[in-house]
Amino acid sequence: MRTTTKLSGIELADSSGVRRLLGSFWQGRPVVLVFIRHFG
Amino acid sequence: MRDRIDDIRARGAELVIVGNGAPNFAAGFRDEFDLDGPLLLDPDLRAYRAAGLRRGRVELLSPRLPRNALRALRSGSRQTGVEGDPWQLGGVFVIRPDGELTYRYISREAGDHPPIDEILAGLDPDAEPIEESSPAPAPRVWLGRGLSRIVDPFIVSSFDRTGFRIHSLTFRPEDLDVDLSSRRCLVTGANSGIGFETALALADLGAGVVLLCRNAQRGEEAAAQIRQQTGNRRISLEIVDLSDLASVRAAAAALAAGPVDVLVHNAGVLPDERIETRDGLELTFATHVVGPHLLTRLLRPSLEKSPDARVIWVSSGGMYTRGLNLEDPNWTQRDYDGVRAYAETKRAQVILAELWAEELRAFPIAVNAMHPGWADTPAVESSLPRFHRITRNILRTPAEGADTVVWLSACPRARESTGRFFFDRKERRTHLLPFTRESDRDRAVLWELCERLCAAPSL
Repeated sequence: MRTTTKLSGIELADSSGVRRLLGSFWQGRPVVLVFIRHFG
Repeated sequence: MRDRIDDIRARGAELVIVGNGAPNFAAGFRDEFDLDGPLLLDPDLRAYRAAGLRRGRVELLSPRLPRNALRALRSGSRQTGVEGDPWQLGGVFVIRPDGELTYRYISREAGDHPPIDEILAGLDPDAEPIEESSPAPAPRVWLGRGLSRIVDPFIVSSFDRTGFRIHSLTFRPEDLDVDLSSRRCLVTGANSGIGFETALALADLGAGVVLLCRNAQRGEEAAAQIRQQTGNRRISLEIVDLSDLASVRAAAAALAAGPVDVLVHNAGVLPDERIETRDGLELTFATHVVGPHLLTRLLRPSLEKSPDARVIWVSSGGMYTRGLNLEDPNWTQRDYDGVRAYAETKRAQVILAELWAEELRAFPIAVNAMHPGWADTPAVESSLPRFHRITRNILRTPAEGADTVVWLSACPRARESTGRFFFDRKERRTHLLPFTRESDRDRAVLWELCERLCAAPSL
C-alpha cells in the first residue's frame, strides 16, 4: 500500500481537539507534511 | 522551515505539522513558532508508523548529534525539553492532490532535517512522483548485522528490548508496505498483549480480523479499541476456549463459513497448579497443543482455498530449555511445575509447526513458528510476577514482541519459508541444548497423540 494511501485514512485531533482526516489536507492542494520529533 | 512558510504557500501548498506530545505542548509549540497552519496530534504514533518513520535509541546516539544540536541553536531553535515519545524521529513528505508523493525525507537521527530547497523542489509542478519502495540503507543493515553477532549469543541482550532495536536495524521497511484488505486473519488470545498487538497491526494494514477470545467482554473491548485506532470496521469477535475441544469445534464451524488466510495460534496460559480440562487434559497441554492442532485441522479446508495462507505458532524462547515430553504430557505422574509445562508445550508447538508444514506442503500454506523475545505483556506480569519485577525495565513492548508474527502473517517474502522457526524476522535454530532434541519417532508419536485426542468426542 502506498504511504499516502495509508496516511490518508488516519484521523488525528488538531490542537483545538477537532478530529481531522489526514487525507483531507491534500484534497485540492499539495501539502508539506512535517512529522516533528517532539514539541520542545 | 518556519522562515520559509511563505515560500511553501506561494507554491499553492499548505504546511501541516504532526507531533506526538500532549495538546498543551502543541499549543506552546504553536505560540513559540508563531504557526497559523494545521497542527495535529498523534500520541499513538499511528501516522508516524504509517509514514515509515524511524524510532529507536540507536538513532539517538549518533556521533553527529552534537553537530546537529549546534546547527539547530544557530538557526534559532532553543530546545526546552522533550514532550511525547523521546525515541521517535521525524520526517517530511510532499504530497500532491492526487495522492502522489513527490518528496520524502526520513530523519536518520535527532536533528537530521532536510534542506528546505529540496522540499520546495518537491512542490514544483513538474516534480516526478518518487518510487515508494526502497531497501534499508546498507550502513544501517551492516550495523544491525554486526551488533546482532555481538548480542545474539547472550539471551538477555538478545531477547530484551535492546535486542529488538538492534535486530530491527536489518528490517526492510517495504516488507510491511502491504495491503491486506483482501485477507481474513484469525488471531487467538487477541484481547491483550502480543495477540492484541498482532490483531491491531493486521487491522492497520487493512485486513479483516477475527479476534478469538475466551472472554466476551474483554474481546468486545479489544475489538472496539482496534476499530477506533485503525478506522477498520472489519473487526469481529469469536468466542472460543482453546482448552475446550467442544468450544474449538463450535468456533471452527462458525469461522469456516468465511475464508481463512491467516491463522495465528497465540493464546497461552501459565497456571500455578495442575488444572484438568473437561476433556481430561492438563490445561497448558490442551491450550497450547491439542486445541490449536484441532483448530488447524478443522480450518484446513478453508486454508487450502486461500491463494496464500499462513499459519503462525507463537511459541516462546522458554522452549529452548526443554525437550518434548511424551511420557507424561498430562502431568498425571509428576509434581506439577507450571513453567516447565509451559516450556514443554512451547517446544511441542515448534515441532507441530514443522509437522503441519510437511502435511500441507502440497498447498500454498506456509506454517511457521516464532518466539517474541521477552515482552511486557499482562500475561507475563500476572503469571511470572518475579521475572516481570526483575526485568520490566528491559522488556520489549507488546508491539515489538508481535512484530515477527505480523511479518510472518503479512510480508510477501515470508511466504517463501515454511516449517521454520523465527525470531525478529530471522530464521533461528530450534535447539540450543543437545538434551532437548527429539527423534523422528518422538515427532510421529506427538502427531499421533494430537490426532487421537482430536478425534475423541468431546465430553
